[in-house]
Amino acid sequence: MAQCVQSVQELIPDSFVPCVAALCSDEAERLTRLNHLSFAELLKPFSRLTSEVHMRDPNNQLHIIKNLKIAVSNIITQPPQPGAIRKLLNDVVSGSQPAEGLVANVITAGDYDLNISATTPWFESYRETFLQSMPASDHEFLNHYLACMLVASSSEAEPVEQFSKLSHEQHRIQHNSDYSYPKWFIPNTLKYYVLLHDVSAGDEQRAESIYEEMKQKYGTQGCYLLKINSRASNRASDEQIPDPWSQYLQKNSIQNQDSYEDGPCTITSNKNSDSNLLSLDGLDNEVKVDGLPNNFRAHPLQLDQPSDPSNSIDGTDHVKPASSLHETKKGNTGIIHGACLTLTDHDRIRQFIQEFTFRGLLPHIEKTIRQLNDQLMSRKGLSRSLFSATKKWFSGSKVPEKSINELKNTSGLLYPPEAPELQIRKMADLCFLVQHYDLAYSCYHTAKKDFLNDQAMLYAAGALEMAAVSAFLQPGAPRPYPAHYMDTAIQTYRDICKNMVLAERCVLLSAEILKSQSKYSEAAALLIRLTSEDSDLRSALLLEQAAHCFINMKSPMVRKYAFHMILAGHRFSKAGQKKHALRCYCQAMQVYKGKGWSLAEDHINFTIGRQSYTLRQLDNAVSAFRHILINESKQSAAQQGAFLREYLYVYKNVSQLSPDGPLPQLPLPYINSSATRVFFGHDRRPADGEKQAATHVSLDQEYDSESSQQWRELEEQVVAVVNKGIIPSNFHPTQYCLNSYSDNSRFPLAVVEEPITVEVAFRNPLKVPLLLTDLSLLWKFQPKAFSGKDNEEVKELVTSQSAMIGTEVISEFLINCEESKVARLKLFPHHIGELHILGVVYNLGTIQGSMTVDGIGALPGCHTGKYSLSMSVRGRQDLEIQGPRLNNTKEEKTSVKYGPDRRLDPIITEEMPLLEVFFIHFPTGLLCGEIRKAYVEFVNVSKCPLAGLKVVSKRPEFFTFGGNTAVLTPLSPSASENCSAYKTVVTDSTSMCTALVSSASSVDFGIGIESQPEVIPVPLPDSVLKPGASVQLPMWLRGPDEEGVHEINFLFYYESVKKQPKIRHRILRHTAVICTSRSLNVRATVCRSNSLEDEEGRGGNMLVFVDVENTNTSEAGVKEFHIVQISSSSKHWKLQKSVNLSENKDAKLASREKGKFCFKALRCKEKEAATQTSEKYTFADIIFGNEQIISSASPCADFFYRSLSSELKKTQAQLSVYAEKQSTEDAVRLIQKCNEVDLNIIVLWKAYVVEDNKQLILEGQHHVILRTVGKEAFSYPQKQDPPEMELLKFFRSENTTVSSRPSVEQLSNLIKTSLHYPESFNHPFHQKSLCLVPVTLLLSNCSKADVDVIVDLRHKTTSPEALEIHGSFTWLGQTQYKLQLKSQEIHSLQLKACFVHTGVYNLGTPRVFAKLSDQVTVFETSQQNSMPALIIINNV
Amino acid sequence: MSGSFYFIIVGHWLSTPPVFEMESLPAEKAESKDDHRHLNQFLAHAALDLVDKNMWLSNNMYLKPVDKFNVCFVSAFVTAGHMRFIMLHDIRQEDGIKNFFTDVYNLYIKFAMNPFYEPNSPI
Repeated sequence: MAQCVQSVQELIPDSFVPCVAALCSDEAERLTRLNHLSFAELLKPFSRLTSEVHMRDPNNQLHIIKNLKIAVSNIITQPPQPGAIRKLLNDVVSGSQPAEGLVANVITAGDYDLNISATTPWFESYRETFLQSMPASDHEFLNHYLACMLVASSSEAEPVEQFSKLSHEQHRIQHNSDYSYPKWFIPNTLKYYVLLHDVSAGDEQRAESIYEEMKQKYGTQGCYLLKINSRASNRASDEQIPDPWSQYLQKNSIQNQDSYEDGPCTITSNKNSDSNLLSLDGLDNEVKVDGLPNNFRAHPLQLDQPSDPSNSIDGTDHVKPASSLHETKKGNTGIIHGACLTLTDHDRIRQFIQEFTFRGLLPHIEKTIRQLNDQLMSRKGLSRSLFSATKKWFSGSKVPEKSINELKNTSGLLYPPEAPELQIRKMADLCFLVQHYDLAYSCYHTAKKDFLNDQAMLYAAGALEMAAVSAFLQPGAPRPYPAHYMDTAIQTYRDICKNMVLAERCVLLSAEILKSQSKYSEAAALLIRLTSEDSDLRSALLLEQAAHCFINMKSPMVRKYAFHMILAGHRFSKAGQKKHALRCYCQAMQVYKGKGWSLAEDHINFTIGRQSYTLRQLDNAVSAFRHILINESKQSAAQQGAFLREYLYVYKNVSQLSPDGPLPQLPLPYINSSATRVFFGHDRRPADGEKQAATHVSLDQEYDSESSQQWRELEEQVVAVVNKGIIPSNFHPTQYCLNSYSDNSRFPLAVVEEPITVEVAFRNPLKVPLLLTDLSLLWKFQPKAFSGKDNEEVKELVTSQSAMIGTEVISEFLINCEESKVARLKLFPHHIGELHILGVVYNLGTIQGSMTVDGIGALPGCHTGKYSLSMSVRGRQDLEIQGPRLNNTKEEKTSVKYGPDRRLDPIITEEMPLLEVFFIHFPTGLLCGEIRKAYVEFVNVSKCPLAGLKVVSKRPEFFTFGGNTAVLTPLSPSASENCSAYKTVVTDSTSMCTALVSSASSVDFGIGIESQPEVIPVPLPDSVLKPGASVQLPMWLRGPDEEGVHEINFLFYYESVKKQPKIRHRILRHTAVICTSRSLNVRATVCRSNSLEDEEGRGGNMLVFVDVENTNTSEAGVKEFHIVQISSSSKHWKLQKSVNLSENKDAKLASREKGKFCFKALRCKEKEAATQTSEKYTFADIIFGNEQIISSASPCADFFYRSLSSELKKTQAQLSVYAEKQSTEDAVRLIQKCNEVDLNIIVLWKAYVVEDNKQLILEGQHHVILRTVGKEAFSYPQKQDPPEMELLKFFRSENTTVSSRPSVEQLSNLIKTSLHYPESFNHPFHQKSLCLVPVTLLLSNCSKADVDVIVDLRHKTTSPEALEIHGSFTWLGQTQYKLQLKSQEIHSLQLKACFVHTGVYNLGTPRVFAKLSDQVTVFETSQQNSMPALIIINNV
Repeated sequence: MSGSFYFIIVGHWLSTPPVFEMESLPAEKAESKDDHRHLNQFLAHAALDLVDKNMWLSNNMYLKPVDKFNVCFVSAFVTAGHMRFIMLHDIRQEDGIKNFFTDVYNLYIKFAMNPFYEPNSPI
């Protein structure tokens, strides 16, 4: 229970005060009316006695009464109607609101810090009014009239006459059976005659004389002359006189109104008109109090409102002439009371009350008590015993067995007014009124026993209640407060007597008493127990008090408090006390807020929202509703839908209030602002037939850090090439799509007239679909004048000036429940300047719940009806993107700082060329090595000329635009498609054996000394593409050598002809996806030919073996491969002829078939070699068909050079590692060099493919690069074993000294040897036992240095097998030769072999050692002589 | 078991959010009670005060019905770690509820043993 202004010791006596009736003559009434007061009201502020009063109790003890208060009221002949009381109470409560700046107590309990208003003035005024408006009842006498003041005016014609009239009237009211209502304490009521005299108007003399007359008639004790109105009312404003009435009158309007009804009152049964009046009145009151417009009742948001309090008053029998109504109201509102009274008059009134109490009332009470006491004493002995005896006699021991039903019946037991049991009660009440609590208690106690004995439950309850109260109030408190008395009383009132009013009074008193004893939980229990359905207001107030009890406990029960506050708020709202309801909910909210009890929190927020709305606190309502919606909620979809609709409704009202204000920020749907993406440029065109547009960049592509890194490298490469190898310092990679991964620290550049697309990521957290209509971007633009003057004023334009920036509007955008969806919004800049995209603006609405399921509602037109229109609000949401966290400097590392994110602030720059690229006949699948011709179309779609077009790719070997020698490039872009991609010449078939030789320089094919072979300038016809012009260029593609899917990135680079300061270049990206399948597998070896037939004295004779295998797995319908031509390309070598002429002229290879080719290669002629620049390659073609493919022309040579350069790049990377070591030993290099060849084989093939019952001929080429003699080389990259994971070494490896000696293998190739002898030799052994055969040993120096050679002919029987060959041969003559061979010199040595038997012999026994002659160190190694040289010796 | 039940686990700090919530309604009433779901939370929340008070008065973990609102009883069970299990039920069935609490307690202990479970976080 909240703290009260009055303590309980003051409260209870003030609640039960002696009641005095006042009966005024009309004239007297008129006098007081001058002050806008009735007589009773006039006395009210002075009705408390300032001094102590003494009284003698029946035992003649002196009893002191402190602070006695009397209540004077006009006689009301009707008991107050419950409806009227209810309305009064309602008004009282709603009129008492917490003050604005009320200091709230902060209560800390556990984790809770609560702001709670400690006082509840509305409750106190309610209680006071309630107690005062208690109707007098028969079973108790506390508010029965003890006395009656009869008031007449001195200005009346016959005042004395008037007095007797009044006296009669009083008598009639009391004793006539017509009037049951005003209850009188005892039959002979004290009458007190008051003569009212208007000092300013009346004749004082006359008054005095009348007073004298009265004194004689009624005795000095029984009459009084009261002088008032000492000044004229028009002087009111002169001096400020305190207005003691104001604080009383406001509350007690019931008396005020009733004051018009004394005298005969007409009871109209026309309740309709009456209630109309009332309701009017009530409405006006509402307006005054709440400031609500009149139409608020028609509002659809109306809560579960009970009928409005002003309407609910039925059965009010008051008749209120409209005039008096108005008058009352005026009196209530503005007019100063007591305007004609001076301070002296105040004193006079006070004096009058004093006099009345001392002389009139108290002696009367004293006398009455004494009388009653005497009566009781006299009756005690006899009647009581008799009574109880008879009772016993008749009822015996039945009493305790009486059931509840019977008890209920007996509750209706009524005593006649003069019954002795009531006399004791009367006495008790009197004692209580004059604060004689001891005596009162004993009397109540006795009465209680009597009543209980008689089973008069109502009476007993009343006695119990008062006994408890008086026991509590006894000075010195001899006995503890009998709480159980109260409990019994409450129970009896409520359950048996069904008298809630009395029960309520009882509870109020008891709770207050318990509270004063700090028994909060008992008080709370009491208060809660009395809440019931019949009165919402009472329940609400009691629950609120109970809540306060909980919080005031020693260990505050915060959650109980909150719960009961909620209950109270609910009741308040049912009772129509909206402000109080809102206050309660708000207080409870403090407890629930943010604690995770989401359902409860939502409910409170919802209620707060509604209440705030009905009270026109729209901002609060909006924020409360907003709360429900933005949290992750457990509510059901229907509930959320309702929430959303209410929210929208409220929001709409808010925005209607201020239509010109800034757009409200909407909370829904969520925007993931960091996921916002910005794209500059047009959308990608869809593929148009054979034409396929470059993929470029689009919002549909997912961000991939690897690929974006690749693109950046490509762009850097091309920029470096353009700027002569240096990347300018202010270079930044072009970004067409900005997202959270891109570098957004700079202002992005957009080109005028090119659209800017912003992708906003929405998320709907609700289980209800959201419909956004008229969705568009919100932006700010600072245009820059074309004049270029810097001092032009910066205009700021906000939103939709379509002349500057065109804005695309999405008319409908539906987000389903709990869905994340992106919206793409476009802007079209028409002017240069700085653009700032601020946010999005849209109408938020919802659609009917039934349409929510999976996008049916998304059909346009379904929800364009009035529903969505009426329930949508326009608002905005800002896009605020936080930049990345900075982490560079120490300061940034230690604090949390974020960099700027400028992706939404593009700068619109001047026009730039815009390139579009289309690919025509671009294949998606290729065989490995297949050559295909396609066309590329370049279109300049802008209004600026375009220049400097280049393309860069990581895979330059994949495509070519052909060489830049016009002769070699077939310039027929629209040539027929069946034609071969190659340039061919028809030849005669004889050319198969001999090679056709041509030569070409690699510079012609763009493979020069430049280190960036990836950057390829596009050969535009006149290097500039005019606006709107388009160019088609042929493009050859070669399937990559690895099978699988290849993504090949092309980056087209171009510039404007006119140099732009901001954008130097633009780029266009394309990603081609090619799927390759296996075709041929070529492996080749080269070895020295041992034959010396065709020696032309140079030692340059090689054999080339080419193995071709068809590895195609034929799922692609490839039938067979034909090797049509094998070409060589080298600086120093050329293929001469094919060696093994197979019957298979066409060199067909079916699936998994393998073919072997053998060619002879020659060193190019010296003179040719001399004239050749180092970049000149000799091409030699060996043809198997009847057409020669000119291998030195495009595209064959292009791809050859490209693959060569990419190969070179690879090997260079490897070689560079060893570069230092090799430079150290010159000799070693020399030796190595003689092992090296630079022969490149190109295998050209045709494949016959059946596809859709059509035979297609595909063409292709494979490259094999031969570098080392005797080493196999492959056309496809060998799969390398993944390097084994190296063990971590913690010591330095010891064998750091790599031997600089050349390997044995390398040395063995220094000298080429060959033996020349007859294959079989016939010798007549019978004639001559020794057979001598001449053998020539040819030694040829392969290296370019002088070599010392030692030939050792001594037999070396290495193996026992050699012996087994029966009889070996011996060399005759010199067994060791020492020779020196000059560079590439050939020396022949004549040897003689001697045989003794016939047989087969191996002549290959001479061992040859070689060393570089100018070297000191000898790398002497036996030259390999692996081939057996067999000779057959026959006997003839 | 025909009545409706509402079970909630509340962490041992005064202001922690509920750890676990579950509702069980008899089939025929499932629809009608939908709009009163918040009431359960209100009741359980308010009962916490009494639970906090009563748990010091009893040696048992099971606290019997601690609170009552209209027809609704609130039973509680406080674990050794002061996790509070609260059950709202409209029929008296002490044994069943006690058994239920014990079962839930066992489950809860197993759950809490999970090293990745942070005490007082929603389950």
